[in-house]
Amino acid sequence: MTAPGGKRPSMMETVQTTDGFLRHAGRDFLVVLYTAFRSLKFYPIENTQVQKALDDLAATTKQLLDVERELEIRLQGEFIFVNSTRLRLDLDNYASFSHILNVLRQCAIGAVRVDEGVDRKQLQVFASLLLAYAAKEANPNKLFELSQKLSDGGVTHISVEPPLEAEEDVEEEERQKEAAKRTYARSVAVTKEVINSIRMGRTANVKKVKRAVQAIVDQVLNNESSLVGLTTLRDYDEYTFTHSVNVCIFSVALGRKLGLTKLQLYDLGMAALFHDVGKSRVPLEVLNKEGGLTEEEWRIMQAHPWLGVLTLFGLRGYGEIPYRGMVVAYEHHMKVDLTGYPKSIRNRIMSIYSKVIAVADGFDAATSRRVYQTVPIQPDQVLKEMWENPRRGYDPVVVKAFINLIGIYPVGTCVILDTYEVALVHSANPDVAHVHRPVVRLVTTPDGALLTPGNVVDLSEKDANGNYPRTIVKVTDPVKYGINVSDYFV
Amino acid sequence: MQVVSKGMRATQLYLPNNPVYQRAVDNIRSAFRQIWQATDDLVFDIGETEMRWEDHPVYTQDQRNESIAWTLYKDGVRSLSFKPGVEEVEIVRFLAVLQQAKNLQADAPDDLLTLLWAEDFQFITYTFRELASENAVPIERSDKTAASFAGGGGTPGADAGTTDPRTVRRQVEEEAPPKREGLVSIDDFDTTLYFLDDKEIEYLHKEIEREYAQDLRGNVLAMLFDLLELQTYGTVRAELISILENFIPYLLGAGDFRSVAFILRECKVILQRARELIPEHRQILEGLPTRLSQPDALAQLLQSLDEATSHPTEDDLSELFGELRAEALGTLMGWLPKLNNERVKSLVQSSAERLAQSHATEVLKALASEDTNVQLEMVRLAGRLKLPGAPDGMGPLLERGERELKLAVVEALTTIGSPSATRLLEKAIDDPERDVRIAAVKFLGQRGHRNAFPRVEAAVTGNKLKDADLTEKMAFFEAYGALAGEGGIGTLEKLLVAKGGLLARKEDPETRACAAMALGKIRTPAAREILQKVTQDKEPLVRNAVSRALRETGGTPS
Repeated sequence: MTAPGGKRPSMMETVQTTDGFLRHAGRDFLVVLYTAFRSLKFYPIENTQVQKALDDLAATTKQLLDVERELEIRLQGEFIFVNSTRLRLDLDNYASFSHILNVLRQCAIGAVRVDEGVDRKQLQVFASLLLAYAAKEANPNKLFELSQKLSDGGVTHISVEPPLEAEEDVEEEERQKEAAKRTYARSVAVTKEVINSIRMGRTANVKKVKRAVQAIVDQVLNNESSLVGLTTLRDYDEYTFTHSVNVCIFSVALGRKLGLTKLQLYDLGMAALFHDVGKSRVPLEVLNKEGGLTEEEWRIMQAHPWLGVLTLFGLRGYGEIPYRGMVVAYEHHMKVDLTGYPKSIRNRIMSIYSKVIAVADGFDAATSRRVYQTVPIQPDQVLKEMWENPRRGYDPVVVKAFINLIGIYPVGTCVILDTYEVALVHSANPDVAHVHRPVVRLVTTPDGALLTPGNVVDLSEKDANGNYPRTIVKVTDPVKYGINVSDYFV
Repeated sequence: MQVVSKGMRATQLYLPNNPVYQRAVDNIRSAFRQIWQATDDLVFDIGETEMRWEDHPVYTQDQRNESIAWTLYKDGVRSLSFKPGVEEVEIVRFLAVLQQAKNLQADAPDDLLTLLWAEDFQFITYTFRELASENAVPIERSDKTAASFAGGGGTPGADAGTTDPRTVRRQVEEEAPPKREGLVSIDDFDTTLYFLDDKEIEYLHKEIEREYAQDLRGNVLAMLFDLLELQTYGTVRAELISILENFIPYLLGAGDFRSVAFILRECKVILQRARELIPEHRQILEGLPTRLSQPDALAQLLQSLDEATSHPTEDDLSELFGELRAEALGTLMGWLPKLNNERVKSLVQSSAERLAQSHATEVLKALASEDTNVQLEMVRLAGRLKLPGAPDGMGPLLERGERELKLAVVEALTTIGSPSATRLLEKAIDDPERDVRIAAVKFLGQRGHRNAFPRVEAAVTGNKLKDADLTEKMAFFEAYGALAGEGGIGTLEKLLVAKGGLLARKEDPETRACAAMALGKIRTPAAREILQKVTQDKEPLVRNAVSRALRETGGTPS
């Protein structure tokens, strides 16, 4: 690539330009590919919508190849890389990305290579074959067969490759899991330290909190499911501390889904970790009281949002006032119509961060065992209530996005399958179209034998007849089967 | 690394537009470009005093306050890696972060790692040791299942059989609804419910935009006032009030004048609406605007406003100044001539006008100030606003003031024109200052203020004007004419027209010209007749005066 006037751009200029170009063009490519998939799925090939989708796909591919000469789309974990550039998920594209990720996975594809000779016809065959093979039951030869079919169909400029060495993936997953555990444990410890410092009137170490939140953001950006899985830990430490960390994790993960930048995720995470900081001023005998609270005690508990504001004012000098954290602490028990508590007199528009944290808070609180709630509610029931009952006062769009994030059956949910197997939800299905068919870990055989740790299966995968071999029929209480959910995530 | 070290020093010592700084950055860039000819990345191990590249020390500095290695090491960084491209933009930001971290206090809310993270570098990576987390409890599986997990695999674990499989199977069968072949689950098709549609995506985008566009301080302040209004606990209110009190200087320092105005305004609301507000709290809330209006605090505010590089909006300032109390008047007046910023000046002026119009006592206080600037500005303002009570405070200024002040007083008094103002102006006729006398007599003559006549007459007929210049003489004579009317014709005729024989004294031309002008002010046929007699006077000065006077009386020189 030579710049006008004959002057060659520096290597770095090239790298930066290319990087920016790839982010945009790569995203455009995936969006048109998704549109092509959808059109081909629902309409016959002659349909104008299909033809237009294929035209767009051909044009976008050509545009990319004119600059890059060759195109590599590689799957790595939950991410898609185009010529080594990781594409960023945001609100406008995450559904398309998830869908493509899923189709490629179902075809056992780790990477697709396209070179300059490709034409519209080859792209059409490629897209059609991918759709057909995605619907087929998993088998070890799937990729080979697909490759053969591509060749038979005259697709000479597109090739497919298997995923990177599976062993490396396992190692990477283990490494991520260990990193997630360290991040989680450290975050709980820091939260405990800070809350206890405040309770005892000592100076809190804000630096440590910042680093904990930064680590959570990094972890969520790199491998969300490892950390989200740890929110199933129920008796790891005192509820207040683990709850704050869980709310932080859920909020950051949801924020990522909403397309927040890294620094915005940090703001959200800080606010989330401190959302209940006002509880440090609630007497322990009220906070830890078993059984019902008196009216006065309940009033004190209800003061924790605004006590949080006062606490944050005292957290440090005025060098850096955590305004956003204050707003969230104050609003996280308000409903979207501003009822709830505390009562509001002056004009106020509820912050989107408060809405996000309210959902994360409500979900984690209801699914946890607390002093005054010895039997937690099943996660799917909590989501159902949040979604269906407007009197709960959650923002419906945020709840919807939250369901997109964690699925109808959130991570850690214990389910019975129609095969009489018991399973734990391992992660939400990356394809939001299969929000009700998560990836699960089987924890019993159909005969009732417990499996440790058990295989992970994707409930959206179909068999050779196009049927789902396993379907969730019921959510159950893991305690009934002697299953300690968090053991499967740590 | 030596070049980077020099760059660090340049960052510390010079501004980015300084040539020395720019040269240092250029040197770093070219050093990196040379390195990229030989390697694809540059990874350093970080020690307390040195940085090693491929086990060779490439940078050593024993003095910690000078050492890049120590700055990195002390906050936990153990390796640092640069990639091609770092030299373009990121290296400069990196040096700035190092510099910032070096200057942080031990109890600061940030350290090098939090700062590096926030920069989100793409071409710089680092590994670090976590802060001590002695309280972190390792996350482990429960004892019961740990052993069976150790066995691993997707098959039943060795110790997994603590629950009888038959019991599990029976329980599952009891719980699960019977399998119904062929029944299609509606869930399998109802997936669109869980997609965000375009409107929802747009809504979330807008919400996020709003989150970062909102006035966070204002939001927090609104919360504090809601709490202050609703929480009747004395201790809570005391804490809230203390927060507000401490908040004001911070807000002023940050140039957030709108928030300060909001606090002052809402304090008034609270005083009206809050239930069970104890007297002590009431007093503090009432006192907040007063405190801000006190000389020292207000002087700080005005100084910071005048010196500010970015200026608050008109509305913000108007709101703040609108909350100032009467006590502020004197300080505002004193600062008016010192302000350089025209916008601030005009706001201070409007605020002062508002206060002056509604607080007569403060006007008098300002007039009695020991600061001449305050007095002068107050006099001018009183004149502009025609404040009727102001002359009460101006008497002493006429007696003791400097020339400029006295002139301003006379000007103000003439504008005010009230009975008390004219009384003071009468006295000013005898003022030692020529300009003061002229201004006073001119005004009194124009206004036909008869009470001033004795003083004017004494001047005209006596010796007072003997040494006066033409302008002053003219002012007095014209005033005389205006005040004396028909009765003054005789006196003026004597002065204008020389009578008698050879020894009769003839007035000097200036006095005669003045007498002519005075007759012109009388504007009667008799006065005109006298003027007609001397139209051909041999003195040009007299002739001109007569001519002008006749024009004034409506007649024409014959």
